[in-house]
Amino acid sequence: MTDSEHSVVLFYSTSGALRSEKLAKKAGLKVKLIPVPRHLSSDCGVCLRFESSDEENLRAILDESRVEFEEISAL
Amino acid sequence: MSKVVDCRGLSCPQPVIQSRKAMAEADQVTTIVDNTTAMSNVSRMATKEGFKVEVEEKDDGIYLHMTKVGDPSAESTVLAEAKSGATGPTVVLVPGDGMGRGDEELGGILIRSFLHTLHEVEPLPDAIIFLNSGVKLTVEGSLVQEDLEALEQRNVEILACGTCLGHFGLKDKIVVGQVSNMYSIVESLLAAGSVVAV
Repeated sequence: MTDSEHSVVLFYSTSGALRSEKLAKKAGLKVKLIPVPRHLSSDCGVCLRFESSDEENLRAILDESRVEFEEISAL
Repeated sequence: MSKVVDCRGLSCPQPVIQSRKAMAEADQVTTIVDNTTAMSNVSRMATKEGFKVEVEEKDDGIYLHMTKVGDPSAESTVLAEAKSGATGPTVVLVPGDGMGRGDEELGGILIRSFLHTLHEVEPLPDAIIFLNSGVKLTVEGSLVQEDLEALEQRNVEILACGTCLGHFGLKDKIVVGQVSNMYSIVESLLAAGSVVAV
């Protein structure tokens, strides 16, 4: 299943994912914590889904709060 | 053969149960109900069972004329039965607002992941029952509202325990699914082909 409107941020830890979710929501971004899709990783983990058009915005938010993430990937 | 089932004055889930019973015996069933909740619940079940539903609103009640249009060929039903091999509906039981025991925050993440994944895979369950703090997932501010709505749109019945909503003072805050009582919950569980307890 492809979804061109959304991308995800993959994190090293679930606490990173949770923290980012809070930060992004506070900034008014439409995000959602979802399981990491199978085609991205076989690990059991969660990632943060966001609207692809918000990518720059979200990167800035994460950088500012120094949240480390593994990668950003299109869905 | 046709049957008439008068369900006026009966409360949920009786109209659904009695209509389904009649459908097992007749190809044409008319169910009379006196409220729109019963109307939508019966219609939904009928469609699932492969019946065409015509609604006629009269002064003395809402008449649902249901005619069998084939085998219960609603694709999802067939698929569900073929895949699970179960003979009855699949019911998912959510007795808390987290998944598993141990860490609450982790439990919260897991239940969100679970409910999100539930509508991305096949077969879908037929019903999801929320109990105790699980009902918090069905009220205002729920982080899984979108997921539950998606499931509901695909005919998955979302039942939230009324006693539990009352206990938390959330009865008027429910945003997805229906308020249910222990009768409906017990009946759903006992009639299930399989129960998936989270």
